[in-house]
Amino acid sequence: MTTSSSSSKQNISLEEWEGKMAEVPIAKNDLNQLIMNYLIIEGYKDAAEKFSEESGLHSSVDLGSIDERMQIRVAVQSGDIKTAIERVNDLNPDLLDTDPRLYFHLQQQHLIELIRQGKAEEALEFAQDELAPHGEEHPELLRELEKTMALLAFDPSSRSPLAELLDFAHRQKTANELNAALLAAHSQPKEPKLPALLQLLAWTQEQLDEKATYPRINNIVNPVLEEQSGAKETA
Amino acid sequence: MASAQQHVQSVQRLQSPDPVEVYSALRTIKNSIIGSTTKKSLYFKLQIIPHVTSLLALDDTDVQIRVQATAVISSLAHKDEEAARQLLDSGVVGSLIGQIAPGADAALTEASVRALNALLSYESVKLGVEKHVGLMVPYLLSIITEAKDTSRVYEMRAHARIELAILVLGKLCMTEARQYTIANTGVIDMLASLLPCGYPRLQIAALKALSALSYENMEICGALLLVRLKHKTYTEAILDLARNQDPDISLCACMCISNMSRMRTGDLLKDIQTVVVPALVKLLKTPGFSALQVVQSLGYLCHEDADIQLAAKNAGVISELIKILVVIEGQADADFVDQELNMRMVKGVFLTLGTIVSTNEECRRKAVEDQALVYLVRAMGHSDSGVKAAACLCTRYIIRSVSICRTHVPESGILAPLMSLLQDKTADVQVTASATLVNLLTDFSPLRADALKAGLIDILAKLLSSPNSTVCRNVLWSIRNLLVGIDDDTRREIIDKIKIETLFSLSSAPHESFLQEHALGALRNVVVDSMLGINAVFDTMGNNRVIELLRQATRSDAESAIKVHGLYLANNIAVRSQEHCEIIVGDEWLLRSITSHITNSSSEVAIAALWCINSIASHRLPSQGQHESDGESAEDVGTCRYMTELNALDLQATLERMLDDPNLALDVRDRVRSCLDYFPESET
Repeated sequence: MTTSSSSSKQNISLEEWEGKMAEVPIAKNDLNQLIMNYLIIEGYKDAAEKFSEESGLHSSVDLGSIDERMQIRVAVQSGDIKTAIERVNDLNPDLLDTDPRLYFHLQQQHLIELIRQGKAEEALEFAQDELAPHGEEHPELLRELEKTMALLAFDPSSRSPLAELLDFAHRQKTANELNAALLAAHSQPKEPKLPALLQLLAWTQEQLDEKATYPRINNIVNPVLEEQSGAKETA
Repeated sequence: MASAQQHVQSVQRLQSPDPVEVYSALRTIKNSIIGSTTKKSLYFKLQIIPHVTSLLALDDTDVQIRVQATAVISSLAHKDEEAARQLLDSGVVGSLIGQIAPGADAALTEASVRALNALLSYESVKLGVEKHVGLMVPYLLSIITEAKDTSRVYEMRAHARIELAILVLGKLCMTEARQYTIANTGVIDMLASLLPCGYPRLQIAALKALSALSYENMEICGALLLVRLKHKTYTEAILDLARNQDPDISLCACMCISNMSRMRTGDLLKDIQTVVVPALVKLLKTPGFSALQVVQSLGYLCHEDADIQLAAKNAGVISELIKILVVIEGQADADFVDQELNMRMVKGVFLTLGTIVSTNEECRRKAVEDQALVYLVRAMGHSDSGVKAAACLCTRYIIRSVSICRTHVPESGILAPLMSLLQDKTADVQVTASATLVNLLTDFSPLRADALKAGLIDILAKLLSSPNSTVCRNVLWSIRNLLVGIDDDTRREIIDKIKIETLFSLSSAPHESFLQEHALGALRNVVVDSMLGINAVFDTMGNNRVIELLRQATRSDAESAIKVHGLYLANNIAVRSQEHCEIIVGDEWLLRSITSHITNSSSEVAIAALWCINSIASHRLPSQGQHESDGESAEDVGTCRYMTELNALDLQATLERMLDDPNLALDVRDRVRSCLDYFPESET
C-alpha cells in the first residue's frame, strides 16, 4: 500500500515493491550474458566454460584467449614483469610500442621489483638505461619515475612514505592496467558490466532515498530487500 | 638486462646456421626493442636491417623465424618516419607482401600485415609503396574475407588480421587514384557491413578506412550515400556511431561524416549541426582523450561552412577551445608536461578557432568575449614559428570584423608583436603576419596611425623586396588599404619610400597576376582624390607608360580583378582634370577597350567601366564667356566635352540597349542610368 508520510516521502511496502519488481520483465538470457561477461573479463576461463555448458549460452568470445591474458596477469601479480612483457609481445607486439604509458608502468613495476629484492645497483642501472630515456621522450611520466627512484633512499623493510609502491596493490594496479589494455586491443570491454550495474543500483537507491521509503538492498554481498522503518508508518 | 655487448652478439647470432639460435636471437631483439626508442636506435646502428630483411628474402626460412623477424621489422617501423623509410628502401615491403599472399600461415600473415600497418603510418612511406599497391590490395581483401568466413564467433587472431588488413587498406588511400582503385574492389559494402558488428576495434578500423576512402572525394562520398545496411542507410549508421559511448568510435564516425559534409547536402548538414558538432564537443570534454584530434576534426568540419561554424559556436566550441589555452598556459613552466604536445595543441586550437570565426560576426564576437585576443597576442611572442603563424591567421579572421577592429583591437596590444613578426625569420610567419596587417590598415582602423608612427612604411618598403611573393602580395594589399583616406604628407612618404616605379613594374609583372592585381590596386589608390599622387605618377612614368599600363590592364584577356583595378585607375585619372582625361580619351584603343567592358558579364568589371565613362562624360564644355576663345559654339555649352569621341563608339545606343535588358543587374542598371544623364535624350 502506498502512503505519504508527513515529510511528503512516499512509503512503499515490501509487498507492493515485490509486486512492482515482478512486473519488470527480465530475460534469463540477459542475466546469463551478464554472468558470462563477468567470467570472461575477469579471466575465469574454467568457470566460463562450465557456465557455457550449463546455461547453454554460447560465448561470443574465443575462450582460448582468456588463458593467454590470465597468464600475463598472473606474471605481473607475481612480480615477474619480464615474462609478462615477453608474453604481451607474443600476443600483440604493437601494444607496448603504441602505448608508452603502459610500457612505462611495466618497466616501473620491474624497477620496483628490483628494489624490493634489494638489488639497488641493478635497479639504478635499469632506471638509467631503460626508464630515463623513456621519461625524456615522455616528460609527463618523469614525476612517477622520480617517485619510484626515491624508493632507493629507504630500506624496503621499513615503513617509508612510498610504501604503497611496494604494496601488492601496486602490482595489482599494474596488472589491471595491462589487462584492460589487452581487453581493449581485442575489442572487449575493459571492465565487466556487473560491478557497473551494482554501482548503478547504489546510486539509484541514493536518489530514491530522497523521495521514498521503500524496501532497500543494504548488503550487496547478501542482497535481501529490507523494509525501512518509515515504510511501516502508514498514515 | 642485456649489456651493449649482448646486443652486438644478438645481431651476430642472426647469421648462425642453427635456426634455433636465430629464432632465439630474434626473440631477444624483439623483446629489447618493443617500447624502447633507445634500443631501436641501437639496433639500427648495429645494422639490423640487412640481417633481418635477408632472412625474409630467403625462400627456405622457417615460418617461426619469419614471424619473429617480421615482428622485429614491425617494431623498428614504430620508431619514426626515417626508420620506416630505411625499411622501405631495404625492399622489405616486397617480402612482407609475399607473406600475406592467400594460403600463407595465419600467424605469419598477422605479423606481416601488422608490420605493413606500422610502416604505413608515415606519409612518405604511404606514397613510396606505389608500385606495391596493385598486389597488396587483393591480398588484403582476401585476408578480410577469409578471416570473416572462418570466424563465426570472436576469434582473437582472426579479428586481429581483419582489423589490420582494413587499417592498411585505409592507409593506402593516399591519392585519388588509389581511392578509386580500392573503392572499385567492392570494399565499401564489406566495410559498411562491419559498422554494426559490435567489436570496437573492427568498427574503428572500418570507420578509418571509409574516412580515408572518402576524404576529399565527392564521388565516393556520393556512392556512400547510396549504401544501405540492414535497416538503415550508411549515414544513419555513421550518425549512430558518432553518438557511441566509445570516444574512438565516436571520433572516427565524426570524421567520416565530416568528409561527406563537403557535399553540402541539406539534410546531412542539419545532422552535422545536431549530432556531429555536439558529439565532438563531448569528446573535447572527455578526460584523457586526445583533444588534439578532436580540435583538428572540428577545424576540418567547420571549414568554409558558416552554418556549421555558428552551430559550433552555439555548442560551446569557442569557450572549450579557450579553456584548453587556459590549461596549457597554466602548464607553461611545469616540469612534467609534454610541452611539445602542448605546442601542437595551441597551434591546432588557433587554426580551428580561426576557421570558426572566419565568416561569422557572432562567432568573432564570442571569441573576443572569451578573451581570445589576449591569448593570440601572447602567442605572437611564442618561440615556435608554427604557433606564431597560427596566432596571426586566427587574428586575421577575428579582425575582419569592423566593430572588433574599432573597439577591442586597439587595446589588445597587438600592434607591436605583429609588426615584429613582419620581420620574423620564417617565411610562414611573415606571410600570416602580413596578411593580418592588411585588415589593420583600413581607414576605419584606429591602429593605422600608431602603425605609421612606429615606422610601418619603412618595414613595408623593405618587405616589398621579399623573395616570397605572398609576402609581397600582402604588402601591396596593405599599401592599397593604407592609401585610402590619408593626408598628403603620408601619401608623399609612401610614394617616396615605396616608389611609383616599383608599383609600376609589379603592375606589369605578367606571370604573377596576384601581385599585378594588388600593385594596380595600390596605384589606383595613389591617384585617388590627390593631385599629389597623380602628378607623382605622371612625372615619374610619363604619359606613354601610363597609357601602356592601362592598355595592358584592360585587355580583353586580362583577369577580371586586374581589369577592375585598371579601369578604376583610368577612372581616377580621368576624373582628376580635363588635362588628365585628355590623355585617356586621346588614346582611341584605350577608350574603345574601356567602353567594351560596360557589357562585361562580370558586374564588377562592367560597373568599373561605367564609372570610367561617367568620369569622362562628366567633363563639360566651358560656360559662356569662357568658350568663345576656344572656338566652340553656344549650343555646345554644358554638354559633354568628349561627346564626339564617345558617340563614335556608339556608346549612347549601347547604354540604351542595356537598359532594355530585363536581366541587367540592378547595380549595373543604376550606373548605366547615371551615364546616360550626360547624353542628350534620344529622339525615340
